[in-house]
Amino acid sequence: MLVSEKKYIIPKSISEAINIALEHKDCFKYIAGGTDAIVNKFQGNDFFDYIIDISGLKELSEIKTENGFLKIGSLTTLDNLQKNHIIKNEFNVLIEAANAVASPVIRKSATLGGNILCENRCSFYNQTEWWRESVGYCLKCEGDICIATGGKKNCFSKFVSDTAVALISMNAEIEYTDEDGNKKSLLESIYTGDGVNPREFKKTSIVRSINLPLNQNFKSVFYKLRQRESLEFSSLSTAVTVNNSGKIRIVLGAVDPMPVCVKGKVEDNIEDLIKQSVKKSRIVENDVYSRKYRKDMISVFLNKSFKKLGLIS
Amino acid sequence: MRKISLNINGTKYELLGGEHEMLGSVIREKVGLTGTKIGCEQGSCGACTVLVNGEPKLSCITPVLKCENTEITTIEALAENGKLHKLQQKFVDKGAIQCGFCTPGMVMTSLSLVNSMDKNLNESEIKHQIKEGLSGNLCRCTGYKKIIEAVSEFALENENISSAEPNKTASVGISRPYIEASKKVCGTAEYADDIKTKNALYCKFVRSTIPHAQIVNIDISKAKNVDGVKYIATGKELEEKFGVLPISQDETAMAVSKVRYIGEIVVAIAAITEEIAAEACNLIKIEYKALKPYLNIDDSINDVGENEKIHEHVKFNNNIHKKAELRFGNQQQGLEDCDVKTKLSFEFEGINHGFTEPHAATAYWDENGLTIITATQVPHYLHRALAKVMHVPLSRVRVIKPYIGGGFGGKSDPFPHEIIISHIARITGKPVRTRLNREEVFLTNHGRHPSKMTVEMGISNDGILKVLDADIAIDGGAYGSFGVVTSYYNGVLLQAPYKLDNFGFRTYRVYTNKPQCGAMRGHGAVNSRFAVECIIDELAHKIKMDPCELRMKNFLDSNTLTVGQYRITSNGSRESLQKVIEQSDWKNRYGKLKDGHGLGVGCGFFISGSALPIIWNELPQSVVHLKVDFDGRVVISSGASDIGQGSDTMLAIIVGEVLGIDMQYLYVLAADTMLTPVDMGSYSSRVTFMAGNAAKDAAENLKREILQAICKKYEIKSDELICENNRVFSNDKKVDISWLEAIEILTAKRGAVSVSGKYISPKLGGDFKGAGAGLSPSYSFGACVAEVKVDLDTGFVKVLNIWGAHDCGKALNPMAVEGQLEGSWHMGIGQALTEQMKYYNGLLVNNNFLDYKIPTTLDTPEIHTNIIETIDPEGPFGAKECGEGAIHPVIPAIANAIFDAVGVRVTKLPISAEEILYKMKQSAVLTND
Repeated sequence: MLVSEKKYIIPKSISEAINIALEHKDCFKYIAGGTDAIVNKFQGNDFFDYIIDISGLKELSEIKTENGFLKIGSLTTLDNLQKNHIIKNEFNVLIEAANAVASPVIRKSATLGGNILCENRCSFYNQTEWWRESVGYCLKCEGDICIATGGKKNCFSKFVSDTAVALISMNAEIEYTDEDGNKKSLLESIYTGDGVNPREFKKTSIVRSINLPLNQNFKSVFYKLRQRESLEFSSLSTAVTVNNSGKIRIVLGAVDPMPVCVKGKVEDNIEDLIKQSVKKSRIVENDVYSRKYRKDMISVFLNKSFKKLGLIS
Repeated sequence: MRKISLNINGTKYELLGGEHEMLGSVIREKVGLTGTKIGCEQGSCGACTVLVNGEPKLSCITPVLKCENTEITTIEALAENGKLHKLQQKFVDKGAIQCGFCTPGMVMTSLSLVNSMDKNLNESEIKHQIKEGLSGNLCRCTGYKKIIEAVSEFALENENISSAEPNKTASVGISRPYIEASKKVCGTAEYADDIKTKNALYCKFVRSTIPHAQIVNIDISKAKNVDGVKYIATGKELEEKFGVLPISQDETAMAVSKVRYIGEIVVAIAAITEEIAAEACNLIKIEYKALKPYLNIDDSINDVGENEKIHEHVKFNNNIHKKAELRFGNQQQGLEDCDVKTKLSFEFEGINHGFTEPHAATAYWDENGLTIITATQVPHYLHRALAKVMHVPLSRVRVIKPYIGGGFGGKSDPFPHEIIISHIARITGKPVRTRLNREEVFLTNHGRHPSKMTVEMGISNDGILKVLDADIAIDGGAYGSFGVVTSYYNGVLLQAPYKLDNFGFRTYRVYTNKPQCGAMRGHGAVNSRFAVECIIDELAHKIKMDPCELRMKNFLDSNTLTVGQYRITSNGSRESLQKVIEQSDWKNRYGKLKDGHGLGVGCGFFISGSALPIIWNELPQSVVHLKVDFDGRVVISSGASDIGQGSDTMLAIIVGEVLGIDMQYLYVLAADTMLTPVDMGSYSSRVTFMAGNAAKDAAENLKREILQAICKKYEIKSDELICENNRVFSNDKKVDISWLEAIEILTAKRGAVSVSGKYISPKLGGDFKGAGAGLSPSYSFGACVAEVKVDLDTGFVKVLNIWGAHDCGKALNPMAVEGQLEGSWHMGIGQALTEQMKYYNGLLVNNNFLDYKIPTTLDTPEIHTNIIETIDPEGPFGAKECGEGAIHPVIPAIANAIFDAVGVRVTKLPISAEEILYKMKQSAVLTND
């Protein structure tokens, strides 16, 4: 029996990477840090014979200011975010969120681009091939039903990127390139809310940078619910950000297949905003904490956040 | 395959490899540097950390091709010209190494951390950064305390470190690193998977996907045709049953006609490489006919009706494996006599040992029969099981224990994989090796039983405990393992440390269709101890007495018998509790802290070795041989298994102390069933007491021979001679000779001298059925106070401090004792707060180190360690156990602290934030009403 040939390709440019990806459309994966992709490959959650390692593309690791934005190159590691003074001074919540990801050693490899594209998770999906065979495959891996919900036809795998939660709360843009050229959109717009295909984003696309608007005087609070203080994916992440014109953005992670976003203004009824956030989340029993508790914690975290921001007493 | 160029530790390697191979496996399997350990294969434990261009990388998830044109540094590069790196030296000197499996990763992570640290930080900032920086490296042995100390000292002193002299002492009561610590910190200590036997086949397993089912058909035709597959084994080839207890021989190496849990091995495939074996496993098709599964205690206690039982051999038409009941005094009367009663029901999830080294083994046959090198903590029972299942004489089986990456009870049974590779090695005539992945380790389990119990206790208004009644059921999983003992221990180990005249229990163990449970640190008594200590806290609350004072009033005295006729000799309960009361400032703080902030106390005790062997026979519990030849080196030969707890070092210390010689004259040869005399193994906290006593006996015998020879030559009485500082002398200096001169006299006209020493425990206990359970020649005692903060909004519990004290009789090696205690308390914190084995229809959901949550450095509080010494009359130099007992008090101490903090009585483990929060709300509603 032949084991299929596996290739590891290190492209010299973005266009080369995309071309190779196009050639092997059905069986490639870009990796940067590889800290999630490789584990998913081991588990059999993802198959790819072609690894295209883009971590050497220097143009993707710059951090620079341009047209009123801070452009953070997608290859910036989570650990390196805290070394940039602009991020530290203007977007510190991003550092807080990044430092809540995985473990310190992983953060030295894991990149910002990789984290925002982190695959949705579920306790019935992030398992080995043998395990998923035992449980009877779920929707996200070619089964017929969602096991977490006991038979629904929708997948509710959790959106778990902590950095995206912080970034979206600051109205971040994503800039990327695919075979059709360079594109830019609001970060939140790439997430679909469908647990099986959680991103509306060509597989061949390469994230160039995450852009954050400068001089907004953001005030933010980030919380993450987890059992251990390290080595954890999120059970609930919340970011609340207010900018200098009094606009509020609430973003929740890990309680829905996509980031839950609620917008408001400081003069709004805060309690209503919190209620809206809870209502928008589609939490199921796919976490170490119960559905009810995670739901309750949304209000608790948001209340705490608004108190810290001085918007409620 | 393609050519891969790597620069590792300054050497260029050109290798052939698959393009998707990971750095860790290439370093280990192709380059042969096995210091880098693989613990989880998914970046969740940190054992595989290496440096790539100076930055730490998890080599198990780093593609090797990412690392071409880089400089890779592994643990092997740190020591230069045989001299340890200063950081390594710190790990050695501070006792930061126990089993040593996490050590290489810890050292590499620490090194890069300290190198990149801001030089202007103060001491507490440095410590904090280290705690944070190491929070992705799991250690199951040390509780991180000594690791953080070692790294902090290195960071603080850095360039100016004075290199410590190698510690040569072998004296009782003086701290010294393990004798093998340097080897472990250099990555050269070989663990089971590091030993590469030439031409070995690799064995992988096909495991059941159904909890309870008849096997209808196994189709191996496709797998058989895979190039490189050498043998495919199925259950029918190995029908002989085995089990660690003679009374529970209920397991076969592979499922024979039916499967009893999801994860049970059904087929084993040996091939020339791991990849081929794995590939072939995917081609096996098994057809099952599902049977009704029994997944919890309630299911299994009931009559099964027309359905099939899990095991045919159980007595009645249900799945009850073992039932036991013992009663002493008059519980009815006790309940009537008391003023206040409390009855509470408790539930406990199962937990896993979480040792960092996965099971691994290599087996081969030659002119000496079967040899197996395996990660076992009990070579002797494996020796017996292999002889039985392989149908070969005991003299044709040799079990070798290499260095072991932790056990905690989880490596004490004979395991299917050990038997299967022995079998395939015999058939194929080739060595066969295997290593379980982390998921398989969890499925193999043998961890702490999920349990349910209702316990009632009564007390008089003046605080005297009158009665204890416990009704216990434990969920054993699919096979027996140590379960009969576990059942008894849940009950019998409640008869101390408090005096109880009216005491009784009923206990059940049921079979369920889940991975089997067995022995784990604190065996059998951890959960029931939790229940009792929580109830005592409740009783104290009800009669408005300080819970420490209540305990002090009820402790058993030294030199007394318990109601079930345990002989208590040395007993440091009071000293232990007194110590933690003082250290925690209990009297000024208990009950007086702000809302959400609390203190709690717990006590406990444990056996110091089971007085009865598992397999009844007349052998001593332990025998130690000493051989000394012309070179003066004393070879200590013992079957005791060092699994990271430091027993090899303990043996050397005892022999060195008796003979007055230091490490340069000592060598420990351990745990090879062909070369070393039988020792029952590392379980029931027996090694220091039993092997230690045997070593002492042997050393005294050798000393006697040496002194006799000297007496004869110098015409002096032997009681005038002193052995000390590598010399033998009399006070009047009539004799004043070096150790080597003494040995010259001993071996003249005689040659090498061998002596033997043994330990046989005294006859103990009553003459009723079940009297043998929990009998021990001595017992350890201890106490803990925990300080917690509960977040009033979320229910999240943060443990801030653990003050612990443990009576270990005499600390032969205080640094090693501290390490055992700190590790026990850390493991207890895990069971208290985050660890549990979660099942979904019999399928284990959290079978990895990401979802099975061992506390990280950041989750581990300040631990304040106190050794209490009571000098046990029968322990070697007064020593008794310290490896297990300490886990008992810490878990209830945390729960009781939560009660002090927020008034919520915890009755379920792990403690859940949600439950605390909702109970807090409930009681708030009640109070407002």
